[in-house]
Amino acid sequence: MAQPPILEARDLKAYYITEAFGVRRTVKAVDGVSLSIQPGEIYGIAGESGCGKSTLLKMLLGEFEPPLTPVEGTVAYDFGEGPSDALGMDEAEVASIRWSRVSYVPQGSMHVLNPVRRIGDTFHDFISTHRPMPRRQTNEMVKAYLAEFGLREGVLQSFPHQLSGGMRQRVTIALATILSPKLIFADEPTTALDVVVQRSVIQLLKRIQRDHGSTLVLITHDMGVQANLADRIAVLYAGKLVEEADTRTIFKAPRHPYTQHLIGSLPTLEDKVARQSLPGRPPALDDPPTGCRFHPRCPYAMDICKSVEPPLVTLEDGHRAACHLITDEADHAAHSRPALA
Amino acid sequence: MTLLKEYIVPRLIQWAIVIFIGVSLTFLIPRMSPINPIDQAMGRLTAFQTLSPEATLALRQSLMDLYGLEGNLLTQYLNFWGRVLRGDLGPSFSAFPTTVADMIGSGIWWTIGLLGLSTIIAWTLGLVLGGLAGYFPDRWWSKAVENTLVSIYPIPYYIVAFILLMLFTYYLPIFPLVGGSRGTASFSWSYIGSLVYYGFLPALSLVIGATAFRFIMSKALASTERSSDYVRFAEIAALPKRRIVFRYVIRNTMLPQVTDLALSLAAIFEGALITEVVFGYPGLGYLLLNAINASDYNMIMGITLLSIVGIATASLLVDLCYPLIDPRVRYR
Repeated sequence: MAQPPILEARDLKAYYITEAFGVRRTVKAVDGVSLSIQPGEIYGIAGESGCGKSTLLKMLLGEFEPPLTPVEGTVAYDFGEGPSDALGMDEAEVASIRWSRVSYVPQGSMHVLNPVRRIGDTFHDFISTHRPMPRRQTNEMVKAYLAEFGLREGVLQSFPHQLSGGMRQRVTIALATILSPKLIFADEPTTALDVVVQRSVIQLLKRIQRDHGSTLVLITHDMGVQANLADRIAVLYAGKLVEEADTRTIFKAPRHPYTQHLIGSLPTLEDKVARQSLPGRPPALDDPPTGCRFHPRCPYAMDICKSVEPPLVTLEDGHRAACHLITDEADHAAHSRPALA
Repeated sequence: MTLLKEYIVPRLIQWAIVIFIGVSLTFLIPRMSPINPIDQAMGRLTAFQTLSPEATLALRQSLMDLYGLEGNLLTQYLNFWGRVLRGDLGPSFSAFPTTVADMIGSGIWWTIGLLGLSTIIAWTLGLVLGGLAGYFPDRWWSKAVENTLVSIYPIPYYIVAFILLMLFTYYLPIFPLVGGSRGTASFSWSYIGSLVYYGFLPALSLVIGATAFRFIMSKALASTERSSDYVRFAEIAALPKRRIVFRYVIRNTMLPQVTDLALSLAAIFEGALITEVVFGYPGLGYLLLNAINASDYNMIMGITLLSIVGIATASLLVDLCYPLIDPRVRYR
């Protein structure tokens, strides 16, 4: 760990705070998440719907508005010029950092392109905002870039509805990465695409990350996509980080019961019987369970799980997990190696 | 070209059918009446004023012709169409022997000028203000504009007209009471200036209400656009707010608004009856009121035919403009 992390969140708490008819409702969507992402790595954030993935992404991107409120903790970027706060940026700072350094590939991409604007015009809007240049020059730049993506020049003159879903997603990825950003957030980039297109999108993201040396933060519930792309994976459950390790470890030796179920739900070619699904549903985040938030669904739940929240402990090789089953084990490890977070 | 074949030609055919049905109904309606409109009209006319024998005969003849009381139903119908196509609507009863076509011809430009301009101004203002207020709902100015326009909206336009008339011609005599212009028609600054001067209050009374209506619609549409994926994406990319509002939000709210503009423009041909009467403005509305008061059937028929053609044509023009605004209509 020679380089400082490009993105670091410390004990981040972000709640949706609403007040209607005098009743205050707090949804703890992200509740004490700490993570640090190294330059050049592909960092996956996984978890089922409603676990706080999207909220965490909004906070990491510094793009939030009420009722979503940062309650505690920090998010900082570091592009080699010292850390800068990501949560308190004003409009000018946001404009200076977005797209040229921090970019975002949205989910779905069916409706992220303005239906009444030609693709070329949209590209010009996005590029000239951050790097003022005449229209002709952006056209040249986009043409060259789209060619790398296997998209014809004619795409520039098209309207979004004339493109197929896969082309639209490639155009969107191109739109997000044309200024070679250092840090790219991809929010469910393969959802709503068929598997063939998914594959090409995965390869495309991988290539961009390699060619530009960017850092990619990949948010998806699809563990298959995570396995294909990510170097390291963080698993979120009910607004908390429950496990984080390199991809191989997450898939081969997951420690948290939730991660074990997540991995166990993946079908394999040798399957002869139906996969086991995890009973129950993710908890409502306005009133999460006490203690370990996973205990109502956990097959190994003990008494301590109902009252005491398990700490996120570091095992060997930066493998972190939060479960009472392994807390003791980590205590022993802590004697030989100092814990990280 | 597929655009011509699949888009323009069907709409032209539709336009022709609408006009055909409208004109045919106008032909049939007097025929459904149990009373003889000619005797009625002649009786009413000769009761209050004396016409010269030639005028009476010409009038009866023109009524016979126009109402098609010569020959059988089919020949009458064909003759009627012949007249309509030639633009021959007969003489006006109340201003005999001036023809209806001449009178409509002189009134229509006042109405088109007044209503066309005020409709377009109100449409543009409402669209832009509504778009801005929908995109920036929390700014003080957007709340101020919204509260003002929403309180004005329920006031009928003729009440606004009376209030403006009293305020600015009686208490503060800035604007003229009646009329459409001063001096003889010419392309001079003084004449055009007088057009604006005389048209200002009537136009304002129409613009206020129409802007409020457009604003409310436009704001609702813009609020929806604001949370659309492409606007969110443009915001995350930190595009300038001005560009987002105009190119991303308002540009998309325009699509349904253009259809509505067509309907408002089509209403021009009925004239803003009350506004023109309140301000003594020499347009179609004024003409129609006088025609109704004087039972000037030829004139009423003329204005009816004109509004049928006008509404159909305005809808056609907007349909034809639609591909320019929505690319999804352009290609299929």
